[in-house]
Amino acid sequence: MEETKYDFDVIRWFSIMAVVYLVVGTLVGTFIASQLAWPFLNFDIAELTFGRLRPLHTNAVIFAFGGCTLFATAFYSVQRTGGTSLWSPKMAWFTFWGWNLIIVAAVITLPLGITQSKEYAELEWPIDLAIAVVWLSFGLNFIMTIAKRKTSHIYVSNWFFMGMFVMITYLHVVNSLAIPVSLFKSYSIFSGVQDAMIQWWWGHNAVGFYLTAGFLGIMYYFVPKQANRPIFSYRLSVLHFWALMFGYVWLGAHHLQYTALPDWTGSVGAAISLAMIIPSWGGAINGMMTLSGAWDKLREDYILRFMIMSLAFYAMSTFEGPVMSAKSVNALSHYTDWTVGHVHSGALGWVAMVSAGALYHMIEKLWGIKMYSAKLVNIHFWTSTIGTVVYITAMWVSGIMQGLMWRDYDEFGTLTYTFAESVAAMHPYYAMRAIGGMIFFSGGVIMLYNVIMTIRKASTERSSTAAAATA
Amino acid sequence: MSDNSNPHGQTTGHVWDETLAELTNPPPKWWMLGLHASWILVVLYTLYYPSWPLLNGHFKGLAGWTSIGEFKKDMKEVTDIRAKYEDKLPGMSAAAILADDELKNYVIRSSKVLYGDNCAACHGSGGGGNPGYPALVDDDWLFGGSIDLINTSIANGRKAMMPKMGGAQLSTAEIDKLAGAIHNGTVVSEPLYAAKGCIGCHGPDGKGMAALGSANLVDKIWRFAAKDQLASIKATIAHGVNDPTDPSTRKAEMPAWKERLTDIQIKKLAVYVHALGGGQ
Repeated sequence: MEETKYDFDVIRWFSIMAVVYLVVGTLVGTFIASQLAWPFLNFDIAELTFGRLRPLHTNAVIFAFGGCTLFATAFYSVQRTGGTSLWSPKMAWFTFWGWNLIIVAAVITLPLGITQSKEYAELEWPIDLAIAVVWLSFGLNFIMTIAKRKTSHIYVSNWFFMGMFVMITYLHVVNSLAIPVSLFKSYSIFSGVQDAMIQWWWGHNAVGFYLTAGFLGIMYYFVPKQANRPIFSYRLSVLHFWALMFGYVWLGAHHLQYTALPDWTGSVGAAISLAMIIPSWGGAINGMMTLSGAWDKLREDYILRFMIMSLAFYAMSTFEGPVMSAKSVNALSHYTDWTVGHVHSGALGWVAMVSAGALYHMIEKLWGIKMYSAKLVNIHFWTSTIGTVVYITAMWVSGIMQGLMWRDYDEFGTLTYTFAESVAAMHPYYAMRAIGGMIFFSGGVIMLYNVIMTIRKASTERSSTAAAATA
Repeated sequence: MSDNSNPHGQTTGHVWDETLAELTNPPPKWWMLGLHASWILVVLYTLYYPSWPLLNGHFKGLAGWTSIGEFKKDMKEVTDIRAKYEDKLPGMSAAAILADDELKNYVIRSSKVLYGDNCAACHGSGGGGNPGYPALVDDDWLFGGSIDLINTSIANGRKAMMPKMGGAQLSTAEIDKLAGAIHNGTVVSEPLYAAKGCIGCHGPDGKGMAALGSANLVDKIWRFAAKDQLASIKATIAHGVNDPTDPSTRKAEMPAWKERLTDIQIKKLAVYVHALGGGQ
């Protein structure tokens, strides 16, 4: 039995929590998107204002939802591709409880305004220390499980998980270096433009190694597994793996074009960003071509649909990002909603959709049962796709419009629009974005319902077979 | 030895988790070409722009591009257009600008954003005012509506003072009487108005005095507009305006802008505000 060969219990709980956090994270996101469109929703309560809840949203989706998905899928696939159980199931439980406690700490501290003010690294120093410890417990367990594998070679998904682990450890530690002045307040050891550079070196690589490398690891296990096809090209996976590993770390500077950061730093960041398009597409096509000759599966296999659509969004946003990093485009796009749209085409279209596909696949295997409703999986697929498209279209239009309004000047050489006018012009797109978010969020709710019903069905079936066996 | 055959093509011979395998397909040709194009692009981009760090300084790039250079070039483009008008402004008073149609037109156009980014937060984007912040579009001016006085108001700010009249000065009944008369616009015929000294600042005609910034009490334009206007008037009489001895006093202050804006920007704004409709 698979159950005796592998440790699945902790993975089940990581999977359930991932779905719960998907709902919570997108709920907060939808709420703060609505605050931008309808500001009365701030209710003049400091803890509920956009500024406090926005980091809660990003932490919830990236670290709570993304983290639980990564731990679930990594612990699942590393066992199966190694033909061995976890090195330490106890340590995996430590990772589970530790990570969830960190999330609880985030939910408490961020609305109270306790923050390091570093984007995607807001949590204060005691929580940062806890993150480091729990993260290391994951990495150690993962690597030791690879070490005791029964197969001769290490499967490609595990390279990506390991790449993520090594780089995120390094990035998190350096970016979080701070001098505490009290339990809830610390100051970064970097200052000025160096601090900004370290911040974005981390910020972009949270995207590059956590949300990209980690989720490519998911893709490399779950796409061929779900499609029941071999990976299209081993050589392609080697090439794009190393290109991403060596390339991504350089990109952070493209977040700081036209600032106090020296020009040369931004140019190197932009040049290597542009060179990341093809390696990124390497992952996308390796996943898509795995389906070659089996495209008809997409007609019935809704889980596979999630994965393939996620690769399409991945290919799109990894083209968009480098284009935005080029100086001439960045001059228009920076500080606008275009950036927000770009992040969400990656976060909703790629990360969340490949996660949903992997979670559905895994839940069927972990509970040994088909999903309660395939139709609801399909509805979730469409809400995710439509929600994402509505969201990013709104942000493209509003972002480019903002950029054009800010720089426009009339025949007198004087600015055409006040800042407030550009804000007023955004209103319909902010409403549209909030609606896109609501559509996406509703898909998460449907998924949670479907997962709960699936688990309930599995337990009733198990108890009835047990009853039949004893009868 | 491993079995490399697979119904879908030649594999590397390794199998994981029963079904996972990798085909030996080469990467698509276009992808390999793209990969080479990518590093070539890095070379070209970093040759063009300032890029690689060196032992002392950094490679400056073949195009001579710098971000500050680009900024200055873009700014030159607009300052060249503006120069025709801007060059005349330093030596002119706000009143002189107002008298020159072409310059007035330019100044109004170029002040729109200046006003929107600095003044609109309190006075409203169209100058309509906000609760507690005076409208600029009407012809009711606390400190005078001539172009020079508007200029002074912006440059130095304004802060008038009305002492609190509640307590020792006026009884509640008297405040009610005065407030009712102000609310009706008939305060000058109310005997308390002269008897209690209101007349000293607000004038025998009740229209206030620009030199003091005292309000016009007969035009029914309210400096402290509220839903319950009568109650608001009572509160103003009882607690005064900017009276340091009363913690409940009205706070009404226009900050000085001369530290934040240039003389020319202030002149421009004076012309702009004057032209909003109510300039005298």
